[in-house]
Amino acid sequence: MADVVQVVGTDDPVRPLFSEAGELRADARSGLGLDAAALRDLYQKMVLIRRADKEALNLQRQGELGLWGQYLGQEAIHVGAVAALEPTDWIFPSYREFGMAMCRGVDPAEMLTWFRGLSHGPWDPRKYAFAPLAVPVATQVPHAVGFAMGSKLRGDDDVVLGTFGDGATSKGDWHEAMNFAGVFRAPVILLCQNNHWAISVPLAKQTAGSIAERAPGYGFPGIRIDGNDVLGVFAAVRAAAERARRGDGPYLIEAMTYRMGAHTSSDDPTRYRLDSELQAWSAKDPIARYQSWLQGQGLLDEAAAAAIDGEAETMAEQMRTRLRAAVPAPAGEAIFGRVYERPPDPFTEEREEFEASLEGT
Amino acid sequence: MAEQTFRLPDLGEGLTEAQLVTWRVEEGGQVEVNEPLCDVETAKAVVVIPSPWAGTIQKLHARPGESVAVGSALVTIAAQGAPAPVEPLPAESVEATPSTLVGYGPGAGPPAGIRRRARVAPSTPQMGSDVRAAPFVRQLAKERGVDLAALTGSGPGGRITRADVEGAASPVAATSAAAAASTTDGERRISVVGIRKAIARQMVRSVTTIPQFTEFAVFDATKLLAARERQKQSGRSMTPLPYFILALVKAVRAFPLMNSSWDEAHDEIVVKQPINVGIAVNTSQGLLVPVLRGAERLDLMAIADQAARLIEGARAGTLKPVEMSGGTITITNVGASGPVETGTPIISPTECCVGAFGAIKPRPMVIDGKVVARSGAWISISVDHRIVDGALATEFLTALVGELETSRA
Amino acid sequence: MEPVTMARALNLSLRDALAGDEQVLVFGEDVGTLGGVFRITDGLQKTFGADRVFDTPLAESTIVGIAVGLALRGFRPVPEIQFDGFVYSAFDQIVSHVAKYRNRSGISLPITIRIPFGGHIGAVEHHSESPEAYFTHTAGLKVVAPATPGDAYGLLRSAIADPDPVIFFEPKARYYMKEEINPELEVPIGSARVAREGSGATIIAYGPTVSLALDAAGAAEKENISLEVIDLRSLSPLDMPTILTSLQKTHRAVVVHEAPVFGGFGGEIAARISDDGFDLLEAPVARVGGMDAPYPPSRYEKLYLPDVDRILEAVDIALAYG
Repeated sequence: MADVVQVVGTDDPVRPLFSEAGELRADARSGLGLDAAALRDLYQKMVLIRRADKEALNLQRQGELGLWGQYLGQEAIHVGAVAALEPTDWIFPSYREFGMAMCRGVDPAEMLTWFRGLSHGPWDPRKYAFAPLAVPVATQVPHAVGFAMGSKLRGDDDVVLGTFGDGATSKGDWHEAMNFAGVFRAPVILLCQNNHWAISVPLAKQTAGSIAERAPGYGFPGIRIDGNDVLGVFAAVRAAAERARRGDGPYLIEAMTYRMGAHTSSDDPTRYRLDSELQAWSAKDPIARYQSWLQGQGLLDEAAAAAIDGEAETMAEQMRTRLRAAVPAPAGEAIFGRVYERPPDPFTEEREEFEASLEGT
Repeated sequence: MAEQTFRLPDLGEGLTEAQLVTWRVEEGGQVEVNEPLCDVETAKAVVVIPSPWAGTIQKLHARPGESVAVGSALVTIAAQGAPAPVEPLPAESVEATPSTLVGYGPGAGPPAGIRRRARVAPSTPQMGSDVRAAPFVRQLAKERGVDLAALTGSGPGGRITRADVEGAASPVAATSAAAAASTTDGERRISVVGIRKAIARQMVRSVTTIPQFTEFAVFDATKLLAARERQKQSGRSMTPLPYFILALVKAVRAFPLMNSSWDEAHDEIVVKQPINVGIAVNTSQGLLVPVLRGAERLDLMAIADQAARLIEGARAGTLKPVEMSGGTITITNVGASGPVETGTPIISPTECCVGAFGAIKPRPMVIDGKVVARSGAWISISVDHRIVDGALATEFLTALVGELETSRA
Repeated sequence: MEPVTMARALNLSLRDALAGDEQVLVFGEDVGTLGGVFRITDGLQKTFGADRVFDTPLAESTIVGIAVGLALRGFRPVPEIQFDGFVYSAFDQIVSHVAKYRNRSGISLPITIRIPFGGHIGAVEHHSESPEAYFTHTAGLKVVAPATPGDAYGLLRSAIADPDPVIFFEPKARYYMKEEINPELEVPIGSARVAREGSGATIIAYGPTVSLALDAAGAAEKENISLEVIDLRSLSPLDMPTILTSLQKTHRAVVVHEAPVFGGFGGEIAARISDDGFDLLEAPVARVGGMDAPYPPSRYEKLYLPDVDRILEAVDIALAYG
């Protein structure tokens, strides 16, 4: 029979690491090969990006930012996924991945100029292998797949991480990208941050089935894991990346988490969300869980934790000071400067006219 | 310790105001950076506002339940060494204006008139909607100082054409554009502007659209000169021109078709009621044609006065556009200076006839079978053959000669 | 009646439409429980039930696609696109199906697609765009944009009642503008409004630029320049008689919109004036709009968007033609 359903790369190195419920198995946890410093580093990064998130919200309330989209509660995914990749593996984010960007070394004060309304693209994606934010939902997923196809065409061994939320899986772009990933066997890890909410629409009203289980329909494996366990995320992404690097194609990871904050600073979740749900998820807080695990392992004493907290405070203060001091580009440059590599004459004339009109203001 | 006032920011993409729900600090109390100041309710949510500075609360500017506009003072804090917030863009008025409908909407922009360049004195439009002219023609009329309302359009449906405006162009406006000349290899090129250009267009239009022919006659000016002499003795000197005009008017009254124009759009002849005589005048600006209006109602003296004023005005460049437009028939005195006997004048495109008078001088004439010397002059008329055939032209010319030869003072 | 905001007027209009016709359905992202990100649909689900006012998954293409199906089944769908910058994924459905369905089948689709549009709210990327020209260019659609609470109410009623598809652009920068409204007042599609009478030049605006044009007219008055302001309300069909009547008086037109000028809707207005009112003009039709660059970061939007100065500058030039 010619029409057999062919699952690309049926070999699944991720699933054996996890229980049915998506929890990282104890033996897998101990077999990650991370030394004490690396394990502490994961903790430190989660603390730092949470503090940055909190400070950004404060800055929005103080009128310093036009908007802020919190990732509170999703730190394990941001930190674990980036740590599992090579620094040269590109990441294609949506718009809530500032924690990931920080893990890639992007300066938080510089990043926030996006929310301050000073720049549409504050960092050089090539420098950090971190693509620009993508606000129109799911539109970055085809980019990730295309980039991965390109890596394969060039014979490079890098892989790509495309990340998105549960809401994105409703869009055609997502499905089309999944299909292409399967057809072209692209070396891409598709990481769903399932935080249960697309603004006010809960997961159950967003999708009637399982997101992870859609992967086989597109010809590659998928798994649902605990997204609030930084080591679980690390393990899943690393295994999927190794698999992709071997040439076995795409992998879908649905990391279950919860959006502890509002959709953005403009949103009011009390209109649609129950406190009880929030409390249940608070108990699964990724930082608290990991902190207690580290302490149990004897890898983090109180003094070390306090030092990290202090470091986070210093970072927040610097972030605040430096953001306020951010010098905006001249208007002509900000509006016209990056539109064309070879600007057409009428465009340049319009820019010059515009700049002339600003003189004397 | 610097006092700083924290103003309510736009908390949610375009909000204009928020209601103060409750204060979490009190006047005189201390506050740390990011410590909650108050709860406010916007159109979108209830949010906690954290303090941007550490310091002592000096003043709370709103009471619970009160509505606070975005940009209004919320709290004043005597801050401990905190730098004032850097506002990187050009300073804006942070006081919300009533016209600011959302966020920092248009009302809070730079005040009108600051960025505006090139203030141009606005002109009040005078154009009535009954004047039909294309934008270009209106612009041309403005450049040439022509009042469109005073023109009769020769285009379809009375539309004023470019030629109408050019025909009525004032010399003052026309000379404002300097003629630039350049020389190459022995030939000199003269940029044609103003009256020269207008004449060129008129003439081209005439000879390319009007099938015209010219008839000639010689008239005996004895009586005309005698009448002129009588005038002179009674203290009034005049050129022969008023006699020519008067004779022309009288002849036209007998042959109204000579005072008409051809409407190409409708294949109709438009016979004009008043006889407005255009007088070709050579000026330093070029040929101008001031118009003596309603000549059929004027006697010789009035014609003489008007003609003298118009010619003088044309030469001085003081005529109004209206005084150079609306002609129905034209006269040119080719013999006014020099030995020219006659010529073949070209019709103004909106008329049917043009007459040319040569120099009056003694010439041999046959009177009662004898050759005698009598004062006389050539006269020629060019007419639009679409309107007038040769026979009618001859009748008109005969009548005109008759009027000239019976001139009285 | 108390003055109401445009947001509230739209809410009342939807409420009255839902109450008046059982076939009216309101749906989109976050329109149900939350009441819409701008609260335009606030409380509608509670009053009319989750069958008639419902949240959809996050997928603009299919939000519009199901509107086609629902309309074929006899409903009057009123889908919401959450922000202007998110309508592009629904473009195929709107252009290929919503606009052409009647032409291909003889079946009318009484769909009203609501889209908040325009800038001036300090938002992040993709939340401040003015995509109206894409839709005015598409035959089979009617395109409207109110500028006041009263017109927002009446025009939305007319749009929902219309048998043909209507793209309903809401100027989000004016959502919190307040005025008294009269629900009895009919606002037909295709009729412009003279928002202010004047004689020196006519400013033609729609949606968010109408109050800007009025501000400009107010500023000009202090310089003894009298400006007439036309609020188009309806972009397609375009009310040319109102424009031409004004031009018979002023002979000068300045079109103002937030969208970039090149290829913008102002070009169509200018061309129509040239077609039908050539003789009336004493100056070229001026267009004032956004720069021909992508919508900038919000701190720069005031420099990018038309403002009173840019409008008056265009007026000055028009008047300088004499």
